[in-house]
Amino acid sequence: MTDTVQAGRRKFFDLARPSRQHLLGYILIAPAVLMVAAIIVWPLILAIDLSFQQVKIPRLGGASRPVSVSNYTWLFSSEEFWLACWVTLKLVVVVTVGSVAVGLSTALLANNRFRGRTIVRLGIALPWAVPEIIAVVIFAWMFDTSFGLFGWLAIQLGFTGQMIPWVSSSTAAFWAVAITMIWKGFPFVSIMCLAGLQSIPSDYYAAAKVDGASVWQRFRWITLPLLMPVLGVTLVLTLLWVFRDFSIIKVLTGGGPLRSTQTLSIMTYDQAFQYHNFGRAAAVGVVTLVICIIASLLMLGRRSKSIY
Amino acid sequence: MNNRVKRLALGAAIATVMMMGSFAPAMADTVLKFISWQTDDAGTGDWWRSVIAAFEKQHPGVKIEFTKAERSSYADTMTTLFAANQPPQIVHLASFEFQMFADSGWLEPLDPWLKKDGIDLTGWAGQQKCQWNGETVCIMTNYFGFVMAYNKKILDAAGIAVPKTYDEFLAAAKATTKDLNGDGIIDQFGTGHETKGGPGQYLTEMLNYIIDAKAYWTDKDGNITIDTPEMVEGLTRWKTVMKSGVGPIDMSASDVRKLFADGKMAMRLDGPWLYGTTEKGSAKGDIVYAAPPFTPPLGGSSNVLAMPSDIPDDQKALVWDFIKLTMTPEFQRSYATMGGNTPPSPKADVSGVEKTIPHFPVLIETMKQAAEAGIDRVPTGLELYYNEFSKMVMEETQRMIIQDLDPADVAKTMQAKAESIKG
Repeated sequence: MTDTVQAGRRKFFDLARPSRQHLLGYILIAPAVLMVAAIIVWPLILAIDLSFQQVKIPRLGGASRPVSVSNYTWLFSSEEFWLACWVTLKLVVVVTVGSVAVGLSTALLANNRFRGRTIVRLGIALPWAVPEIIAVVIFAWMFDTSFGLFGWLAIQLGFTGQMIPWVSSSTAAFWAVAITMIWKGFPFVSIMCLAGLQSIPSDYYAAAKVDGASVWQRFRWITLPLLMPVLGVTLVLTLLWVFRDFSIIKVLTGGGPLRSTQTLSIMTYDQAFQYHNFGRAAAVGVVTLVICIIASLLMLGRRSKSIY
Repeated sequence: MNNRVKRLALGAAIATVMMMGSFAPAMADTVLKFISWQTDDAGTGDWWRSVIAAFEKQHPGVKIEFTKAERSSYADTMTTLFAANQPPQIVHLASFEFQMFADSGWLEPLDPWLKKDGIDLTGWAGQQKCQWNGETVCIMTNYFGFVMAYNKKILDAAGIAVPKTYDEFLAAAKATTKDLNGDGIIDQFGTGHETKGGPGQYLTEMLNYIIDAKAYWTDKDGNITIDTPEMVEGLTRWKTVMKSGVGPIDMSASDVRKLFADGKMAMRLDGPWLYGTTEKGSAKGDIVYAAPPFTPPLGGSSNVLAMPSDIPDDQKALVWDFIKLTMTPEFQRSYATMGGNTPPSPKADVSGVEKTIPHFPVLIETMKQAAEAGIDRVPTGLELYYNEFSKMVMEETQRMIIQDLDPADVAKTMQAKAESIKG
């Protein structure tokens, strides 16, 4: 009997058997899942719990406070929150559109055959390869009001007679952040689009040319539709990246001046570490997460329909 | 095969035990964590290391792990450590940062320790700021007075005398702001202030002009006193300095200091810590320190030492020994001689320091004047809300400058918002 049971167990865990190969998959991803659970899921649960407590600085292992919705009441009645939502929305739209436009253009360029194509492709990937904080510090100096390169260029090219106060003007600060984010973000779009472009069979273009289609018609009726699956996923990932980006804004403008570049991520940080109000910070974080989830579902949902 | 495996396992176990044995003495050492932003500061960092060396000599088997956290992210680091229940044993904080931790009950009351050792802190500069809810929760490490450092070469070239009043200061700043190479870009400034970065430093920079106009954010009882004619004058002066182009815009304090140290700026108002930067600058030979042209000079509490309330008692005793060591006459004197700082102890022997730090008498004088005038960066009554308050002031001031608002209206707005913050 014991031998039979043991034999049965050995058969069950015999990973070489086709019917048991799925177990191998679970075993192999288990470490990653556990790590994700520890690093992401558990802190997320803690943050949601914190958002329902009126707490200044929490302490790990400390006593929980009574459940309260006061953080959310404050949030939705706060002018600062709605301003941060508006700034985030503006930045998401501008940076996403800008990154896709520049990324797609450079991908179309790099997809052609010409001398130096490899170097161009390397150049396109370079902004993505530079660590974000290093790139932002460099941009901060280029946008410097007194000694920055961009201000000097603007004077030399005759656009203005004096240095531009990039960080102390609400409009200029927003565009300084947007330009930096587009510079950092477009390579990802470009690489994804390039991969998508290379999967489009050249026969389609040949056939279209024979039928007399113009460059624009080929782009509109062949390239774009076949690139949509890739573009859709890229759009969602870019949008989520802009939503959650913190370091570019923090280093360049700190969310100012006059909160003109204060996004929801900056607001979360300020509430936690500037005002020591972790309960409110958690509430902002949870709302940001919900917005991101809804946006992702909406966009991916539509993408799925268009593909299939 | 099994015997071979067993022998290998036994050998590995013995090797592990031997290695553990060799680490045993090191593991038996008590390690006290001490985080600070001043580890690399010229002079002050060296002073901390000398205190640590003396402490370790007095306490064999005890090591102090002295690590740096950048000033810009220091509050975040300490907040995270305290929230994670992993605070350093030796707590070093800026004078406007410790209140939140004290209010949460995370700082050890030091009155019993002071009483046990019979230490009298009467006359200890700025020590009253370390009182929280009737208890002493920290020891003031540095109480400073601002100075004005100026580039003699730039002032002499412009034919300008060292300014003694606000009006002379503004005139000197305007006269020395120049485009030296004619490219349309100013490359020599009259003065400079931090206008990019944390609101706390922004507030400190403004305070020079505010207190010279005889204004302040609160009175000694903690009532908000922003909507006053004096404050309107102070805000007007700050707006004038900002809009006159005499200083670089959108620059952090550390970059402004470097600009000054390299001879690109005529005058800089700052605390004693400016000395470390100017000593490394290319214009070191041209820089002279003098009293600021404002009365009273800006001054106040700088940083404090404390200990967490929930570390083991044996560690508390060690941390207290460390704090006591910094307060001894020997180290109070070396705080001046090595770091160029004004020691808070009223009994500190600072004779002869001017031989190594020529402007030291100026530092002592401005510190005394600021202390007598009761000046501090952290307004009474707003200690717990300092970050929120300073951010509000910075935003409203920026709005005043960007949108060219009337300072009188801005003062009213600030008064209302400050009262709302305080609740």
